[in-house]
Amino acid sequence: MIAGAWRHRLTARVLPYLLIAPTLVLVLMFNVLPAVNTVNDSLYKPARGLNAAGKPPQFVRLQNFADILDDSHYMGQRFLRSFRNTLIFALATVLVAVPLGLLLALLLNRPQQLLGVWRFAVFYPALLPLIGAASIWSFIFSDSIGLANAVLRSLGQPGLNWLGDRNLVLLSVIIVNIWKQAGYFMIFFLAGLQNIARELYEAAALDGAGGFQQFLWLTLPLLRRTLLFVSVISFTFAFQTVEQLQALGEGGPADSANLLLYLIFQNIAERRNWGYVNAMTLVLIAVVLTFTLGNFLLFERSENDR
Amino acid sequence: MIAICQRTLVLSLLLSLFIGAAYAQDDIVIDFYFPSATANDAEGIFQRYADRFHEENPGISVNPVFTGSYTDTRNTILTELQGGGAGPDVAVMLSIDLYSFAEEGYITPAQAFIDAMDGGEAYASDFFPALMANSTDADGNIWSIPFQRSTPILYYNADLLAEAGYDSPPTNNAELVEIAQALTTDDRHGLLVPVAGGFPIWMYQSFAIAFGHNIVGDDPAEVYFNTPEAVAAVEFVRSLGTDLGVGPAGGAAWGDTPVAFLAGQAGMIYHTTGNLTRILSGADFEVGVWYLPSGPAGEDGTGYGSPTGGGNLYIFDDGSKSQAELDAIWKWVTFLSSPAIQADWGATTGYIAANASAWETEPLASLSMEHPQYLVARDQLQHADKEFSSYGTITIQGIINGTLESILTGESADAQAAMDAAQAQIDGILADYR
Amino acid sequence: MTRKSGVAQAVATVLTATIGLVFLLPLVFTILVSIRPENEPVTQGSIFFGSEITLSLYQHALNIAPWGLHYFNSIIFVGGTLLVQLFTVTCAAYAFARLRFWGRNLLLVVILLQLMIPSGVLLVQNFRMINLLGLFDTRLALMLPYWGSAFGMLLLRQAFREVPIELEEAARIDGANLLQVIRHVYVVNAIPAYVAFALVSLSSHWNEFLWPFIITRSEEIRPLTVGLNKLIKTTDQGAFYGQLMAGTIIVITPLVILFLLFQRQFVESFARSGIR
Repeated sequence: MIAGAWRHRLTARVLPYLLIAPTLVLVLMFNVLPAVNTVNDSLYKPARGLNAAGKPPQFVRLQNFADILDDSHYMGQRFLRSFRNTLIFALATVLVAVPLGLLLALLLNRPQQLLGVWRFAVFYPALLPLIGAASIWSFIFSDSIGLANAVLRSLGQPGLNWLGDRNLVLLSVIIVNIWKQAGYFMIFFLAGLQNIARELYEAAALDGAGGFQQFLWLTLPLLRRTLLFVSVISFTFAFQTVEQLQALGEGGPADSANLLLYLIFQNIAERRNWGYVNAMTLVLIAVVLTFTLGNFLLFERSENDR
Repeated sequence: MIAICQRTLVLSLLLSLFIGAAYAQDDIVIDFYFPSATANDAEGIFQRYADRFHEENPGISVNPVFTGSYTDTRNTILTELQGGGAGPDVAVMLSIDLYSFAEEGYITPAQAFIDAMDGGEAYASDFFPALMANSTDADGNIWSIPFQRSTPILYYNADLLAEAGYDSPPTNNAELVEIAQALTTDDRHGLLVPVAGGFPIWMYQSFAIAFGHNIVGDDPAEVYFNTPEAVAAVEFVRSLGTDLGVGPAGGAAWGDTPVAFLAGQAGMIYHTTGNLTRILSGADFEVGVWYLPSGPAGEDGTGYGSPTGGGNLYIFDDGSKSQAELDAIWKWVTFLSSPAIQADWGATTGYIAANASAWETEPLASLSMEHPQYLVARDQLQHADKEFSSYGTITIQGIINGTLESILTGESADAQAAMDAAQAQIDGILADYR
Repeated sequence: MTRKSGVAQAVATVLTATIGLVFLLPLVFTILVSIRPENEPVTQGSIFFGSEITLSLYQHALNIAPWGLHYFNSIIFVGGTLLVQLFTVTCAAYAFARLRFWGRNLLLVVILLQLMIPSGVLLVQNFRMINLLGLFDTRLALMLPYWGSAFGMLLLRQAFREVPIELEEAARIDGANLLQVIRHVYVVNAIPAYVAFALVSLSSHWNEFLWPFIITRSEEIRPLTVGLNKLIKTTDQGAFYGQLMAGTIIVITPLVILFLLFQRQFVESFARSGIR
């Protein structure tokens, strides 16, 4: 009996750790330890020149960070451009694709003809592998043989160099991302909407609230948590989805549409750039960390408010 | 809960049983990584070669592994080796990847194998000299063996030229501009030079050579990106899209150029010989092929000139492989570079068969009789020069590509200033090697 | 009802159709290009149809890769990843939602770090880890790094915390053990969170290219995205749009059929339980 109680207490003590162990171990192995290594490695410059492979790296404090922030350094200009683009890309995703997803959910939550068709029309991009979706768009954006320009020209407009014009190419990449994500976000909103009791709307209508007022005072507050959730995933995804650039102009011309993670991939191969790659990785982590943490705090607070 | 975690364990064990194919234990297995840069079923072709090789050499198996584009292949192999993986035994990579791998000590020179083999000298001298320029280091050691090689070449729509009153292709830049202007209409470009889409350096280099000064020297620590010739070359390419208006501003995209040509939306294009088979079989008009027109350096051959391109066979060894393994590896390399395979591979894909005797071998011999365009591609090799490759190739290429794109898209109006700045950055990198 | 709401309905209908058609356009042209002769771009002749309708591009595309095998591999990859995730995530979420133990907050933050560290940037180091474990080029290597999910843990932890603690206490008094409590009290009350998590997990791994590409070499275990890559990387010969479009259609058709068959159930089951 005493042994049984002791065993029970031991189990209670150990149990929580057993429960979290698989997740914790995997996160430590594949995320935290590599990130800690990155912090350390970002303070070193790899050996350069002939036979560099056998020589130890040199401790340089924050020199790698100074270099990537230096506009005249070969990596500096590339980093600064890609960093700016990444922020624009992420903000555009959150500010356009998320509201568009909400709008689509509102539109497609009403009984109507062809409902299945329209839901499919906006959701199928989510079913396409990103790299395939980007390739379809590279065809659409193609300068001389592409669909977009064929349409423009048939309307008597000059064609645009979607992927070749440095002022247009980031926009093209953003358009693809919005098209790819909006329907995916819609699903979350649709589910949230269907969860709001119909009676609430009927009551609001009796009180004389119009459609827009209903949306503002009823729908939006009740969808707040969905909105927060979708914003978090859309923002973090925006920092991690870069494979489309392989088909959409490799981030060029001259990095005018390059994204940070893609720039890292482009430079990961050569030893001399490892210090920079680690420094850029840390910057990327820091930005995502700040935003996620901010969102997480909001999330927690909204939980506690309830 | 422990039951749940046990289940997880069992499940993971079960899943781990689904592991890739295994090979017979007694064979030496050569892991062969290859990129695919054509629409052919490269995987199927290499499997066929591997089977034939295994038949001829019992006891040696080849395991062909598709590794994406050239860039993917390079990055995949580097990631694997840097991460402590075994890496390939033999890989097809760009001929310009030499120093990226030699600097790391991942590859071993082919020279030792050539020296040790019977008839090694004859084997090596059968390759076209231009195709060896990127294989050979400053001391004359051969590192890699040509496999799927190409050069840029001029394709022209002979029907359109005839319509405009020209019965022969342009041979110098002045004629090039004249004919391009004559062919340009509202819905057709006279000339497409594919310098957009991430990799302008290759096409640009053919202009730099034609203007009289390649941007790279024999020594991998020599780069000349801000010479007057280099500047004039980029200004000429830019003018095609701006002042002359024979192509899109900023240049055409690499992938779209042959498609536009086949659709009759471009009168002439610069593109790779690797595309010859596709274009000849796809066109519903007469396709002409000619040397890239000569630049101001003159038509005595010095003003012609294009870089070479494409992929070579590299042997991976950090010193840990046994002699038997190395012998097997070298057998596979010589097999792939043999006239028989080169003739077959060249005829299937359109790459230039790398050795002279392959052109006497079927099926290439009759194909080139039927389509003399293949011979033009081969003969241009006598004017071809080394493709850009230096120490720190990837980084320096990145600087050059970015600078070219910024000049061509009009972001840097002053080409000389932009190229001076780039050269300073390049010199900073190469200082480590001088 | 009122004329005003009639107008609003009409506006909504037009808006729906407009957005829907714009979104559909790429698919329509993907199909049209895939049945057009290879060398007739849409800018030549009719924008809709070429001189003939042909399936030859499909034949080419089918020959390029063993699509059935890739499909199977993708399903194993995303399914296997999700299945194990559901276990690990449930365990961890319960512990963080309901149990008190030393170091809880610290460990929570450590796990949450995963959300903030994009796994893509740690490619080389993760490769090293997989290689160290001797798992290079195995199915396990594809899935292992994803088996711990901070995102899923967080989502479920929120859901579990909303389950009234009295339900657990009642179940305990009835003699339920921990496993039964989790299953009958927590899991059933958190279905919406599970559905949301499954959707995110499945779709992100379905799209995954880089990690599978780097960590596998054998065709036998490589997923769809790697097969599709073969149609895209035709760099020496320029773009083969027709063949690529045919390949894309091959890749998505089974999914599209599934979606069309189950779209109503899908949205409704998702909604009935309600994601919040």
